[in-house]
Amino acid sequence: MSDPVESARAVLERADQLRSRLAAEFRDRRVEALYAEAERIARRVVRAQGQRARDWDAHIDRLVTSPIFGLPLMLLLIAATFWITIVGANYPSERIAALLFGLEERAVAAFQWLGAPWWLTGFLWNGVYRGLAWVVSVMLPPMAIFFPMFTILEDLGYLPRVAFNLDWLFRKAGAHGKQALTMAMGFGCNAAGVIAARIIDSPRERLIAILTNNFVPCNGRYPTLIMLATVFVAAQFPPAFASFAAAGAVVAVVLLGVAVTLAVSWTLSRTVLRGEASAFTLELPPYRRPSILRILYTSLIDRTVFVLLRAMATAAPAGALIWLLGNVHWGGQSLARHGANFLHPLGHAIGLDGVVLLAYLIAIPANEIVVPTMLMMYLGAGMMTEVSGFDEIRRVLVDQNGWTLLTAVNLMLFSLLHNPCGTTILTIWKETRSLRWTAVGALLPLGLAFLVTFAVATAVRLIG
Amino acid sequence: MSPSTPAAIGLELLLLGAAGALGAWALCRGWRQRRQDRQRALAEDVLKHIFTAREEGRQADAKAIAGRLAMAASKVSAMLARMEAQGLVRSDGDALRLTPEGEQRALHVVRAHRLWETYLAHQARLPTAQLHKPAEKEEHRLTPAQVEELEARLGHPARDPHGDPIPSASGHVVAQEIRALAEWPAGERAEIVHVEDEPETVFRGLADQGLHAGQVVRITARRPEAVTFTDGERQYELTPLEAAQIQVAAVSAESADCAGLVRLSQLRIGEEAEVRRLDPQLQGLTRRRLLDLGLTPGARVTAVLSNAFGDPRAFRVRGTTVALRNDQAALVWVRPYAEPDHQAEASQR
Amino acid sequence: MNRPGPAPDCAHCPARPELAQMGIGWGRYDYLVALAGNPNTGKSSLFNALTGLKQHVGNWPGKTVTRAEGGFLYNGRRFKVVDLPGTYSLLSASPEEEVARNFLLFGRPDCTVVVADATAIERNLNLVLQILEITDKVVVCVNLIDEAKRKGLEVDVRGLARDLGVPAVATVARTKQGVSELVRTIAGVVTGQIRTQPLRPAYPPELETAIDELAPLVEQAVPGIPNARWIAYRILDGDHRIRQALLSGELAELVRAQREAPESHSRLLAIEGRQ
Repeated sequence: MSDPVESARAVLERADQLRSRLAAEFRDRRVEALYAEAERIARRVVRAQGQRARDWDAHIDRLVTSPIFGLPLMLLLIAATFWITIVGANYPSERIAALLFGLEERAVAAFQWLGAPWWLTGFLWNGVYRGLAWVVSVMLPPMAIFFPMFTILEDLGYLPRVAFNLDWLFRKAGAHGKQALTMAMGFGCNAAGVIAARIIDSPRERLIAILTNNFVPCNGRYPTLIMLATVFVAAQFPPAFASFAAAGAVVAVVLLGVAVTLAVSWTLSRTVLRGEASAFTLELPPYRRPSILRILYTSLIDRTVFVLLRAMATAAPAGALIWLLGNVHWGGQSLARHGANFLHPLGHAIGLDGVVLLAYLIAIPANEIVVPTMLMMYLGAGMMTEVSGFDEIRRVLVDQNGWTLLTAVNLMLFSLLHNPCGTTILTIWKETRSLRWTAVGALLPLGLAFLVTFAVATAVRLIG
Repeated sequence: MSPSTPAAIGLELLLLGAAGALGAWALCRGWRQRRQDRQRALAEDVLKHIFTAREEGRQADAKAIAGRLAMAASKVSAMLARMEAQGLVRSDGDALRLTPEGEQRALHVVRAHRLWETYLAHQARLPTAQLHKPAEKEEHRLTPAQVEELEARLGHPARDPHGDPIPSASGHVVAQEIRALAEWPAGERAEIVHVEDEPETVFRGLADQGLHAGQVVRITARRPEAVTFTDGERQYELTPLEAAQIQVAAVSAESADCAGLVRLSQLRIGEEAEVRRLDPQLQGLTRRRLLDLGLTPGARVTAVLSNAFGDPRAFRVRGTTVALRNDQAALVWVRPYAEPDHQAEASQR
Repeated sequence: MNRPGPAPDCAHCPARPELAQMGIGWGRYDYLVALAGNPNTGKSSLFNALTGLKQHVGNWPGKTVTRAEGGFLYNGRRFKVVDLPGTYSLLSASPEEEVARNFLLFGRPDCTVVVADATAIERNLNLVLQILEITDKVVVCVNLIDEAKRKGLEVDVRGLARDLGVPAVATVARTKQGVSELVRTIAGVVTGQIRTQPLRPAYPPELETAIDELAPLVEQAVPGIPNARWIAYRILDGDHRIRQALLSGELAELVRAQREAPESHSRLLAIEGRQ
């Protein structure tokens, strides 16, 4: 028998000869032949029976992609989603906070009665437990409301229509319309958004989608946004309009995020990632009626609980760390004070303060815990103020720590733009396998965040 | 260690000297490596020149090479002598020929160049005028295995974006009879198969006018100072110098029945049509994707949706709804059902 | 002639087949089942229905970007199920098509379930026909028949099975309608109780001649290869992976392994390829 490698080579060589003799479009002919067969079979086995039911898909599609109503409808849907989240989360948040902090008080009392040393009580209950309590009360209600609504939109098949509506903008920015899908995933979690970028074939556009995904506020960040919008923006309006104003503010931030995404994509595709937009083919699948049980399972178990557990896993050690920082004194001041004082000049320059920056440093592993961290540091360890609900938060921030509207706005901007969380950075590395792009993915947003907040702070201070 | 003892001083000097020598050696090696790379690239350029000259039926000699590579004649002859010694070329009087080994190397470089241009055009979507320069660099870097993989990824294209044939690894070329545009009989339709990319300024001018390989044109008038032709949508007028850059061939059966066809992007919402053919400009993954989605000749399509910007638009094909950007839909030729007045309207638009 | 069809006479199937969903977390299994299909055909729903896992379903093309794996137990046999990325075709060089193609060839599934959307049979058949060329152990799962009914479409599943030469089962994966029949059919195909004779449509004439010439050479280079014509076409097409596999002897290895595989084998999954 002849040598196998030799005969394999012979096959390949013959193939090359044969190919050069075939008409250039032989692959086209092949697909055509397959489709001809498919058509023949389909004609035999598929029967259109009786009166077609009204084609709702086509009607809905014409409405949601309509040149006139398409975009406004999209905005309305986003706004409604946030409004329901804000209105719905307000009361449960307060109740949960009251419950959990009440428990803390009683546990502390019990520990004191048992004669536990003060540092143990403080570390466990004012540190670890309080961190957890904050995360649960601030995050759980909005997520448990937002995720089911988002999952309904996803399972219905609305997301591809969003990509369809926005593709033109992305093309102008040198990016791919499917980036809209990755951004939508980013609302859930930026790491998921980065992975979803695999649906983009062109490596250049995929990289753009990965690097800019951070500009969509993920679930870890919009509790921050919702809280700020409720405490600061909504408070400027009469109570009847407060919730609308808050939702409007969150939507404005999200839109700003989209604008920044487009601007950064545009800049990238004209500098380091130069190139024209590639092809865009996207199937618009038929609408499917979502199954309620599955929606609840996916959104509550897969998403909410998963995200919450992850947040709690970082909140517990963070709570401990904050308590330690607040209670270990050196030179007459707590370490937290030292840190905050050290960061204060930088924080002040961008319209924030040292405590906020310190909170962001501590929260690098997970953005979810920024607000709890901040509040815990403001409140200090020894204080037994029961902070439940947005009114108290407002009192702490504005009356006790001198926050202004500028602080709130800049914190919203900073929260929107700053670097992605640890998980996302790790995912960027896994997806790109490049330290360089991972660094860009982390530092570009950070730089942008400082730049924008600094510009806003300076402008506001100049105007007065 | 204290440096006071002579032995210690000696040891330090020795170490220092060794480090210095190592550094110098590395530097020297790096420099030599670069020099070698440059030499190799130059030799490959010479091989490529001889190869393409033969393709175009011109004679390759030392003078032409000196002109092409902008080198002094003495340097060129020294280089050719070296290459002859290496067994890459042999001279046949004035004319230069490739030895089998030189042939192999030249084939590799030519394939690398044309495939890289194809890659840049199809995958990175660079405009045709920006393909040549990066390919000039990359052709010396790609290994044969990489070239083969690239070829497979691109789906073994027969021609590069300029219309030059891409030979297979064993040197096979898809044959086609080619003539200069200026020599094509007036009134008869021809397909542009090649637009010469050098000199760059002329090429850029042609590319800016939208002329590209795959276009089907018909000469309407030929005067000493200009050639006028049309592609059915636009009139072009070129100087003889410009027209000489363009080569044409008989229209393949594929492009033959263009009459009555409109672009898919021209369909109005609600209008139905039958797919006739995909434009040759549509290549690689994009072409296959469209075919896979069912846009094969004979398929029935209906334009169904358009967004606020009018781009992309969605089409109903084989029971599914597919969104396409207009510049892609423009490369799908369809024949609208009924409505004879459509064409007039489409050309007005 | 062995007429393929859904549900062979079930003389030796128990009246109530013991079917258990196994979720994930087991390396050893008896049979390997691949799930292929167009995007958005309910592949993930079917995967969940088979394995009892709760993979998120979603409704946008390309949602399953990672390969999901799970399993089920039927009649005491362990079936491992691999959910391949959804593709429209196996012909191009896009990453997800490469993953699917390589798995079907090199992952050696004992049965491939092609999930087809009943509302767009024509488009889905393109992929079905391509898969029939690679392997004859195929079950076509016509999913979403409820949706088709709503749109006034009726699919003659028996006729489809007859035309394709492989069993076809109608399902609504979301409500698990038809899933137990599908499992029965899969079991029939992997054990050889259901014999298949897949339809392999002719290539266009000039391609046919080229393949006629090349396929015998492939058979010579890899004796006993079952899908020589498909391999020949892929080589003509310039599939880099297959060229490599031919040169390195991997294809020959594959054929040998296939032939030596015992009737019921426990093996560890070893699939190479991306991801």
